[in-house]
Amino acid sequence: MNEIMVGGEPFFFPGDRTGCLLIHGFTGTPKEMRWLGEHLAADGRTVLGLRLFAHATHPEDMLRARGGDWLASVEDGYHLLRGACDRVVVMGLSMGGILSLMLAARLPVVGVVAMSTPFYPPDSRMRLLRRVAPLLTLVWRWTPKGPPDWHDLQAAGSHLEYPMHPVRGGALLYDVIVEMQKMLPAVNVPVLIIHSRGDLTLPEDHATQLYERLPGSDKQILWVENSGHVVTRDAERDKVFAAAGAFVRRVAGVGA
Amino acid sequence: MQGGEPFSFPGGRVGCLLVHGFTASPQELRGLGEHLAAQGFTALGIRLFGHATDIHDMLRARWTDWLASAEDGVHLLRGSTDHVVVMGLSLGAALSLILAARFPISGVVAMSTPYRIPTDPRIRLLRLLRPFVRFIPKGPPDYFDPEAANSRRAYTAYPVPGLQQVEQALAAMRACLPQVTVPVLLIHSKEDTFVPPQNMEAVYERLGSSDKAALLVENSNHLITLDSARQQVFAAATAFARRVGAQAK
Repeated sequence: MNEIMVGGEPFFFPGDRTGCLLIHGFTGTPKEMRWLGEHLAADGRTVLGLRLFAHATHPEDMLRARGGDWLASVEDGYHLLRGACDRVVVMGLSMGGILSLMLAARLPVVGVVAMSTPFYPPDSRMRLLRRVAPLLTLVWRWTPKGPPDWHDLQAAGSHLEYPMHPVRGGALLYDVIVEMQKMLPAVNVPVLIIHSRGDLTLPEDHATQLYERLPGSDKQILWVENSGHVVTRDAERDKVFAAAGAFVRRVAGVGA
Repeated sequence: MQGGEPFSFPGGRVGCLLVHGFTASPQELRGLGEHLAAQGFTALGIRLFGHATDIHDMLRARWTDWLASAEDGVHLLRGSTDHVVVMGLSLGAALSLILAARFPISGVVAMSTPYRIPTDPRIRLLRLLRPFVRFIPKGPPDYFDPEAANSRRAYTAYPVPGLQQVEQALAAMRACLPQVTVPVLLIHSKEDTFVPPQNMEAVYERLGSSDKAALLVENSNHLITLDSARQQVFAAATAFARRVGAQAK
């Protein structure tokens, strides 16, 4: 009956005048950011976990999506959150990390937490595929996801996402990454990068290259060891939550 | 689109979700949202997918995307309120009634609701042209209040495939009407030349609610939240939200 999957709904937790905008990843749902949101809300912050267009509904919707739709979803979240607070810290996982950095280049935010963020196309075939994507995706629409890299199997069990990657999405992701790289010089706010050494999708150099390319001086990388790609739900999530919470307090000037 | 951003105004424990119409933007309900916020309500004006960006985005939109955008709004409002009243204009009114059949909400204000696709000659032309044209320009503004046209943020044309999606949304709404049992306030202008007031009568008759009211206003065309009768519309919507919000407690 509902369009949005049960458990995959966007969420809003009212709090103080510092807002945290939470952006999930490609084929993911707001659920992957919900525990982080609850932690930040318990810390006193106002939190909005948005739903990207075509996510948490029906996988087929992804075949109609464009990168610009996701940026528009992120801008929507920013405007809605801004109505309830004075300053916004944006945080995202994976493609949500990319979108967070892009938002920081376009609209006034006071900080970015970029988690498990791809800096270059994670699959070397993407560049080639991008060129033929418009034709290819007419016949090849879905591709299986890679092997799971979860450490916390219980959290993995309750994870909610589309089970397949839309092939078109690979092309979109490629475009979004290229666009982010172009926009990085405009990201002049504090950035906290969080990355797991156990991420099977994105090797460590995604984080180190992103770090090097950020123009600001207020930047740091937090490494986690015993988590897979979804650091907001996997074994070391508490370390991630604590770091994100402390980062928000610092950049927003909130008394601890 | 500048000026077409979604908005949220924090307030009390009764939240009003505002759902705009086809090819429009949250701007057409911002005035109503500000009025509600000034009266102590929490208001949230969502942006429907494909709207207030680039009109080409509308070519990819399905009506279920619009419903999902409205559902997002319900979930976000839930986070800061105890009761949600959904208010929509035109297509937004149809989506509001569908939400009322599917989600536990406290009431609906459905404004300028089409029961069927408008019989405007431009729309009929669209239907014929569907296979050949992607966009058809809108006619000149037909407000009673000429000022209303100045602040308007909307696409200046109708996307042809979108029409079919509106038809499907209205079919879904018609199927839902008997299942709507929460209080409903219908508001329509006598002089609505785009969606004539007979549409309101058809909706009223089929609504399952026992607590339903139909209010006719004058000196307005289709966009009653922007046109000359807007203050009357705002006052009626606010009184309704106050009443159902109090009842829900």
